[in-house]
Formats: sequence, structure tokens, C-alpha cells
Amino acid sequence: MTVRRVVLCALLIVIAVIVEVTVLAPLDFPGATPSLVLVVVAALAFAFGPTTGAACGFAAGLLLNLAPPTTATLGISSLILTVIGYALGRVFDSDTRPLMLTTLLTSGAAALSILAGAALGGLLGNPRIVWGDVPVLILTAALYAAILALLVIPVVNRLSRAFVPEAYPR
Amino acid sequence: MRDIRRARIVLAVLVLISVTMILLDLRGGESGPLGPLRAVGATVIGPLERGAATVVVPVRSYIDSVANIGDKDRVIADLTVENDALRAQLDTVANDRARVADLEALLGLIDANDYVTVPAQVIAVGPAQGFAWTVTIDSGSRDGVERDMSVISGRGLVGRVISVAPATATVLLLVDATSTVGGRLAGTSQIGIVSGTGRQDVLQMQFLDPLAVINLGEVIVTFGSEGDRPYAPGIPIGTVKEMRGTEGQLTRSAIVEPYVDISVLDIVGVVLRAPERSEREPVNVTPTPTSTGGAP
Repeated sequence: MTVRRVVLCALLIVIAVIVEVTVLAPLDFPGATPSLVLVVVAALAFAFGPTTGAACGFAAGLLLNLAPPTTATLGISSLILTVIGYALGRVFDSDTRPLMLTTLLTSGAAALSILAGAALGGLLGNPRIVWGDVPVLILTAALYAAILALLVIPVVNRLSRAFVPEAYPR
Repeated sequence: MRDIRRARIVLAVLVLISVTMILLDLRGGESGPLGPLRAVGATVIGPLERGAATVVVPVRSYIDSVANIGDKDRVIADLTVENDALRAQLDTVANDRARVADLEALLGLIDANDYVTVPAQVIAVGPAQGFAWTVTIDSGSRDGVERDMSVISGRGLVGRVISVAPATATVLLLVDATSTVGGRLAGTSQIGIVSGTGRQDVLQMQFLDPLAVINLGEVIVTFGSEGDRPYAPGIPIGTVKEMRGTEGQLTRSAIVEPYVDISVLDIVGVVLRAPERSEREPVNVTPTPTSTGGAP
């Protein structure tokens, strides 16, 4: 883990969290709020592999659960995003990263994260969960994540190549 | 191969920390062992959200105004007609109002417009997949905002403050599934409990009197809490839209349409204190010198 890598990841994660709660959530999209944070974590996992993916997922989840106005139990998002960051980094820890596949994987991860969030919340006794809304949330989250992934993954990939060239030995 | 082993160890450690945090947070909540971490988070991230909002809010209102440009003429025409009608009404009402003011003074009632509020801008909203209906406003403890204060907008009750940081505060909206408010029908004074459903435009009201006669369209206002926390009295909540259950049934409830549309929340007010209310004195049957000819 180089300093430059940590700085890049931290910067992208903070921006993603702030944009998600101040821009995307107030726009009141039908269904789920587009999860920019998850897409950024996925993009970082694709760029740097499972260790960085897991660490970024944990940090992003923690920040997401701390940023007002959330009331969610601290640690739920960290748990989900850590696992997603690790898994996506593991699956695609190679040099061949076709955008189509990374987009599909990110979209699937977004759908799973909604399901996992609702299931964990239900298990922990969160009284707010409306199960009838969950299918719509899953579908819309997957759709929004796919659109965001197409935009975000190439940008993050280029940024990481520019700022952290040592992570890409030729 | 060593990389993979290291990644697995990192994964295991981080998952363990996450699970520990979940357990600790569930035990304690705000006063628990993770309370300080939450407070630090809100103190640090709140100003970042405020900073983002200074850029985002003007853009948002510009887009809104461009999107509504076709409606403006129609809205102005509608408002002019309504204004004329209201002005005509006002003349006839003036007489009644003097009498009402007398009676109010006599009974020590308060005017809903006299609440002392601090204005605030909604700067952040919780993601929909969290199932919680909460927003962040850009007023905090340094503006005098405290926990459990009512939040209102021009149309009616928005919710209450559930946590405060120096520069921001978090508001639990009426429609959140954990929100409950004591409500009163403005017409018949039937009381009940208004609770959120987790859906954006629907509240539910449970009436205490199963035999109550309730008409559709009746206005519901807050009942008011001790010391005006968390809800100050007399704030409009919404109107009765639909009745559930038949008269006499043990649980009589109504579907309530809230006045405040939370998808367009922008500027809100935090009620610092309700108007000063003089001690109520026994009402005299004979007119007192202070009442200026209130009797019909």
C-alpha cells in the first residue's frame, strides 16, 4: 500500500459518500438511491485487487454509516462493502478487464447489497424495513449501478494508472 | 499466492471489526460505546455536506425553475384568482376575527404563526435503501437547535430533530416508520396517534375513541407534548384521506395525507420555542373589561 494509493482511494471514497447523500439521494429517483459509493468501491477493487478492495469497502461503509442523516446500525454497510470489495477484487485480479463484465458484476453486487442490507436489518430487528419494496429496490439499484459503473469504472481506472503507476507493472 | 493470503487475512479482520461494531452499536445506540464515534463523524462530515450543498442547492433550484417555467403563467393566474377570492373573504372575516382574538386571549390560546423558529436548508437525504426517512439540515447546536425540537415548513409539520452536531442536525421525518406524533382533529378535537408508514406520502392515524365520527378531509394538527418537546401544539399535520375499519371496531384508523411533500423539502424551520402562553385563568361568565364586546 503506497501513500499515493491510500490518498487516491480516500479522496474518491469521501467524494462518493458526500455526492451520494447531498446530490443523488435528494433527487429522489424512483426506487433505490443510485449507490455511487458501491460503484467506486467496485472500481477501486477492480483497479487494485482484493486487499485494497476490502479496505476501501470497509472505509466507505464506515463513512456511509457515519455521514448524517443516516440512522443505520454502525457496521452494516462496512460488513457488506468489505465483502463486496474483496470478492470483486478477487474475481478480477487480472489484467484483462472488459468493461462489459465489470459493469455486470458491479450491477449484481449492488443488487446483492440491497438484499443483504434488508436481510441484516431484518435479523437485527430494524422496524423500518418494508419488504414489499425490496424487489423494486433491488431492480432499480442494479440498473443505476450498471449506468454509474459504465461512467465511473473507466475514470477510476485511468486515475489509478496515472497516480499509482507502480501498481501496474509492465 | 502470498497476496491472496494477505487479502484473506485483511478480509477476515475487517469483517470481524464490522461485526463487533454492529454488536456494540446495537447494545448502546447513541449513548453506547460507539456514540463518540458517531458524534465525531457528524461533526466532521456535516461541514463537508454543507460545503457540497452551497454548490448543489443553487444548481438544484435553477434546474427546478427551468423545469417549471411553462407552469409559471398558469400558477400566477391561479394565484390571482385565489387572492381575489381570499380578499373578499377577508372583509367578512375581519369581524369574526376580532371576536376570536378576544376569546383566544381569554382562554390563553396561541397563534400558530407565533412560533420562534430558526430557518434551515435541507442539505442531505438518507439513501432510500436504508429505509429510514431522515434528512440533514444546515443548522446545528451553535444555532440553538437541540434534540427533540419540532421541524416545520410553510405547509405544516416536517418531523423532529433526533441528533445534533455543531453545524448540522438530523431530522426524523413524519413518514418514517418509527415516527409517532400525538394528533388532534381540528374540527371535532378527536385525538389519536399519527405514525409513519415508511411510504413517502402516507401516514396512519389510530383514534383513541372507537366510536368517533370522522369525516374525510378533516385537518389533523399536533396535540403538543409536555414542554413542546418533541412536538409543539397546533402544527398542521395533514388531512384524513380514507377510513379503515368500521365504527365501533376496536382499532379504528385513518389513512392521512401529510401536508408536507418530503420529495420537495427545501427550507424548513426548527421550532426553538412555542409562543409564550400566559397562565390560564378561569373564564368569567360576565364580560370583563379586557374583552371588547365579544358577545354576539
